[in-house]
Amino acid sequence: MSFRYLAGRVSQALAVILVVTIIVFGLLHALPGGPARGILGPQASAQQIADFNQAQGLNRPLPVQYLYYLRTLLHGDLGTSYTLNEPVSQLIAQRLPKTLVLTVLSALVGLAVAIPLGMWQAVRRNRPVDYMITGLSFVAYATPVYFFGILLILVFSQILPWLPPQAPQGDTVAQVLEDPAGLVLPVVAGAASMVAVFSRYMRGAVLENLSEDYVRTARAAGTRPRAILWRHVFRNSLTPVVAMLGYYVPVLFGGALVVEQLFNYPGMGLLFWSAAQASDYPVLLGCVLVIAIATVIGTLLADIVQRLVDPRVKAGAE
Amino acid sequence: MTDTESVLDINALGVTFTTETGDVPAVRDVSLHVRPGETVALVGESGSGKSTVALAAMGLLPENARATGRVSVLGTDIVAASERELRTLRGRTMSMVFQEPATALDPLMRVGDQIAEVLRNHLQIAAEEAAREAVELLRRVGIPDPEQRATAYPFQLSGGQRQRVVIAMAVANRPDLLVADEPTTALDVTVQAEILDLLRDLVAESGTAVLLVTHNMGVVADIADRVAVMLQGEIVETGPVEEVLLRPRHAYTKRLLEAVPRLDAAVDSPDAETAPATSTPVIELRDVSVVFGRGRRAVRALDGVSLTVAPGETVGVIGESGSGKSTAARVALGLVPPATGQVALFGTDPARIRGRARRALRSGVGVVLQDPVASLDARMTVAQCVAEPLRVHRRGMSAQERRDLVAEYLERVRLPRALASRSPRELSGGQRQRVSLARALVLAPRLLVADEPTSALDVSVQRSVLAVIAELQQEFGFGCLFVSHDLAVVQDVAHRVVVLHAGRVEEQGSTTAALLHPTSEYTQRLVAAVPLPDPVAQRERRALRSAQ
Amino acid sequence: MSVLIHADPAEPTPANVPGARLGLRRFTRNRFAVAGLVVIVFLILFCFLGPVIYPTDQIHTALTQVNLAPSAAHLLGTDAVGRDELGRLMYGGKTSLIVGLAAGLLATLIGTLWGAAAGYAGGWVDAVMMRIVDAGIAIPALFILLVVSAITTPGVPGLVLILGLVSWLVPSRLVRAETLTLKNRDYVLTLRAIGGTHSRAITRHILPNAVSTIVVAATFQVADAILLVAYVSYLGLGVQPPQTDWGGMLSAGLTAAYSGRWWLILPPGLAVILVVCAFNAVGDGLRDAFAVRGRS
Repeated sequence: MSFRYLAGRVSQALAVILVVTIIVFGLLHALPGGPARGILGPQASAQQIADFNQAQGLNRPLPVQYLYYLRTLLHGDLGTSYTLNEPVSQLIAQRLPKTLVLTVLSALVGLAVAIPLGMWQAVRRNRPVDYMITGLSFVAYATPVYFFGILLILVFSQILPWLPPQAPQGDTVAQVLEDPAGLVLPVVAGAASMVAVFSRYMRGAVLENLSEDYVRTARAAGTRPRAILWRHVFRNSLTPVVAMLGYYVPVLFGGALVVEQLFNYPGMGLLFWSAAQASDYPVLLGCVLVIAIATVIGTLLADIVQRLVDPRVKAGAE
Repeated sequence: MTDTESVLDINALGVTFTTETGDVPAVRDVSLHVRPGETVALVGESGSGKSTVALAAMGLLPENARATGRVSVLGTDIVAASERELRTLRGRTMSMVFQEPATALDPLMRVGDQIAEVLRNHLQIAAEEAAREAVELLRRVGIPDPEQRATAYPFQLSGGQRQRVVIAMAVANRPDLLVADEPTTALDVTVQAEILDLLRDLVAESGTAVLLVTHNMGVVADIADRVAVMLQGEIVETGPVEEVLLRPRHAYTKRLLEAVPRLDAAVDSPDAETAPATSTPVIELRDVSVVFGRGRRAVRALDGVSLTVAPGETVGVIGESGSGKSTAARVALGLVPPATGQVALFGTDPARIRGRARRALRSGVGVVLQDPVASLDARMTVAQCVAEPLRVHRRGMSAQERRDLVAEYLERVRLPRALASRSPRELSGGQRQRVSLARALVLAPRLLVADEPTSALDVSVQRSVLAVIAELQQEFGFGCLFVSHDLAVVQDVAHRVVVLHAGRVEEQGSTTAALLHPTSEYTQRLVAAVPLPDPVAQRERRALRSAQ
Repeated sequence: MSVLIHADPAEPTPANVPGARLGLRRFTRNRFAVAGLVVIVFLILFCFLGPVIYPTDQIHTALTQVNLAPSAAHLLGTDAVGRDELGRLMYGGKTSLIVGLAAGLLATLIGTLWGAAAGYAGGWVDAVMMRIVDAGIAIPALFILLVVSAITTPGVPGLVLILGLVSWLVPSRLVRAETLTLKNRDYVLTLRAIGGTHSRAITRHILPNAVSTIVVAATFQVADAILLVAYVSYLGLGVQPPQTDWGGMLSAGLTAAYSGRWWLILPPGLAVILVVCAFNAVGDGLRDAFAVRGRS
């Protein structure tokens, strides 16, 4: 694709990330007791805070502080957790891959179910099956993830002891993947809402495409309905769905937060959760930043994939 | 009555649609036949049911349609046939070309593959052979460099080329019947001429029967052997093309033909000398250029265009798509700022003044745009729409005064006063355009800018709206900038004409001079491409054109 | 979350929007939508009139009546401190509905103002405003809420404000897209060409025609806000006892789930699901009835 387009999108993404750092910076300074408390912890004494403020130059004007903040970020320094006494960046580096395993699996499972389901619904539009699945989609969307998770645990771990109620506890991704059974329930819980949203979306996209002129041309040429559906409509329907993926990434991470806490999965979500209970601000803010950046990158990637798939933009003919 | 020689035989066809608001009978008791090698044109205005007949012939009626009667293609009854039977016929025995080339092709599939698909639907051939055939077909429909073009995606082709691909798909399996629903309506007039030539060649070569649906009498004269005229679901007249077009018998056919504007030496264009040359032009564009986009992908919509409109005169701005004519109108309206050059509205450059003064200057302009649906805010009543300029510029008016003025102008545009309290949703396209016109004139403007004001209307309605504009211009003496792609319409209404091509002025002058004796090669080509609704004359023009 | 399930900003609204009468007829033909409306009305009556018919004490604890299963005296049993569960459902529902409604409407208001301003202004102003929105969307709402919970425990007004501030981003994109379309409608262009002011274009044409989009967005926002409220207590941001909401009841009852006390978690869970579905169904119905962008 055209370099110009890529450069444009990347610089857009960078701009967004910049705004995110401003937001996080703002949050840091919105904390009671200021960033000093945020970094030293709720137990710090007034003297420690004053010393800290002096040393960190927190008397300087905000924009200058922001620039210093940016500089520390660029050095990869996200502060130190005061409950775990480790650098935040290290904690995140250890936990993030595991969260990614969970979210990517949830996304793949979600799409693998949603896309055929949405297509089926569109083909069987307004028949009882369509209504039923639509109803289930609404319910799946409206069910809080933790509620659904608990139900899953109750049914599949307690009443029917098929699956473990706790997610794999490994330190590395490889270790986590050694216990696939433990991943089933968390992935299903994370994928449920995604199935609801994307099946509706796919249904809509397919319905719209079915009434497009090119379908009429294919019919007039004698193409069989199944061929029309899979050769023409399917590909055209995927484009808007892939576009939505980018925007769904933050939702996936949000879901991961709850799922990890519920299933005790040692990923970034659980780290975040524990940090919130302990008011461990460096961890909290570091995680927010990393998640946001991950989201922006995810959206950028989804956008690029879409442009690759859709030849209309490939040649730069926008 | 079944004619066993006919390829398409329609007998007492009736089609009714079930809609949200009740049953709508679109086609009533239509009978016609098409023999091998003959082209039958089905002509009518919107709502006549002509497209429905075409769809019925292919068995492509939508789900909410109920068909009665008999439609037979080479003996098979389409109305009664199962979908599976129809599928074996479609694309092989009968095929269809639709109106809109921009959306007729799958945007994510290469054109060669789409043609190959049609071939493989009905023939047991391997993919490579189908691909080769597809290239041959592209060559046959006149696409240059077909091997290369076969790998292109639809968006990489122009409208005319896309329609050629659609035609290639339609003739791929040498069908006995070709149904074409307004195949050239969405194309520029020069491209239309080429496509009609192509269709004629293909049909002559293969002896295919053609059912051509159109509203354009010129197209009928150019390509049809026989004609059937439809009105409100019924056929009112049918016969050989020369008979029907030159010696119409039914009152409706006569009215229809009379309303068709023709590009003719016999037409009396308004005299270019009426406006005194010394008065300040109501609008003047001086060497205006407009650029959209930036860098490599910048498009020069207008390039050094100069034109003027004097009080009381109508200047027609003609061009095909991409010529910049609409951009010129928008520059005149102040909606698009010129990159270079100046605009003078009533002698003043609006860019040089600000705020209230500029708005006051603009109050002397009336606007009528193309789309009857989008030009009126459906959330207001007709009266509120017409009164809007009054509310903007004549704040002091009382409600009663406004009401009276609105009623007066509705009358002026030949609309009943009672329409004032209705919603635009309840009005027809022609009525909406008249309301637009009333709104444009309510402040007694000195300039009327009309951008394709009648292009979306039926030909008979078009005529009456144009007549109203001409009358009001006589009475009020406003200057009119009239943008259109339809040369015949412009010839009818304009004193002077400006021909635009790719953003530049190709030709300028009095209407008679520019259109009947054009000097620029482009204008000559443009004029030659416009089909006349007279089969005899059209044949002569064609001969002249191919001799060039 | 939110309007992802419902809208595609790439699709413009048609200029020929059906009138009120036709729209109403289409809406009433949509079974899900009508059912949703009925459910909403029922739940509002349940929460606000219910306590009048079935009065219970939701403030004081009754430690002799702890964790009782449903019976004639307590139709849905009692909770961990002896309060009547059915009554608590009504009581909690009031908070869920009020907070959800208020937060949803606040989010729509802010989003509308922001999106309309960005869409109408265009150019670099639009670009900057939308980059800010993109940045906000990039941070998952639950993460922000959890950070806030680490800092403070808001009361009901504070909760409404926070939820509103976290949710206005998606409606802003919708309204912006709508504004862009409307800005280029012929009737607006005509108005500008004859000297009409920006403010007239906005107040007389753009806003009234954007109403259907905004109403649909508001409906979906309320649905999402109520769902978000259900998460909020789970995250530790919820209202303090004895006040409660359905989310709070749900998370309080989670521990009870393992011990088989289903009456503590099923009713609030079902209530949340029911009301969110209902608002979504109504929003869907409105959107299809009035041909707002993003038809499914």
